[in-house]
Amino acid sequence: MNLVVMEHIFAIVGGVIVFVVAAVALRNDWKTPGMDNQVFKLMLGLLAFGGVLAALTGLGVIGKA
Amino acid sequence: MAVVSIPGGGKADQLYVETRALRLQGFLLFLVSDVVLFSSFIFAYLYLRNSGQGWPPPGVTRPAIALGAVNSAILFGSGATMHYALENFKHGRFTQYARLMIFTIVLGAMFLGGQAIEYTTLFRDHVTWAGSGIFGASFFTLTGMHGFHVFCGIVYLGVLLLQSVHGVYDKNRFFGLTAGTLYWHFVDVIWVVLFSIFYLI
Repeated sequence: MNLVVMEHIFAIVGGVIVFVVAAVALRNDWKTPGMDNQVFKLMLGLLAFGGVLAALTGLGVIGKA
Repeated sequence: MAVVSIPGGGKADQLYVETRALRLQGFLLFLVSDVVLFSSFIFAYLYLRNSGQGWPPPGVTRPAIALGAVNSAILFGSGATMHYALENFKHGRFTQYARLMIFTIVLGAMFLGGQAIEYTTLFRDHVTWAGSGIFGASFFTLTGMHGFHVFCGIVYLGVLLLQSVHGVYDKNRFFGLTAGTLYWHFVDVIWVVLFSIFYLI
């Protein structure tokens, strides 16, 4: 297995893990009040989006080689 | 110092309660100013990119997308560990908090290591800050500025960890950790944008 294939696998696995963890954290904190928590929710949403981007890049669906 | 109840339970002194909202607003304004800084560079890059013919310019190698994706997964993962570090601290689970903080710092350092590998590869392909036109200048300026933010974040989290070990924060007073988490999430979110504009489009 060459390095590029390993990088793709790592990106897919890492991206999926990040998405799941961020989505679960967002779900748990959804009803938490306070300005800081509203910002956390926004950032967790963007973090989940980032996880999706990394996974899709690893799969070769998006991005230019 | 008068002891009062704070929203969400627990006791804290009056001064902490009175100033927490102000400190939070101040810290959020700092983050907004950083957003303005990054936005101006990002919009300048996008404008210049769309002004030219073809992208990247002829003779310039694009950065390796697989390594970029791995680096992104590492940095986004550190955002998740940082979030759970704060959650554990809030619930009084100090050991798990310390472990996750260390894990976050290690992942941040790994991201910087990945960036160093990427820079080395690009230098080998003669892609440099000054010698590769708009692409090199914008890529190294923006990713370098972001990398510097990550480096500052690692130092910041290290200081926060030492402070919490020495009992500066407790279950009811941990604004420093909230600010650190906000900063680290900010660094992650900026990378979502940089990853998209340099590697994906």
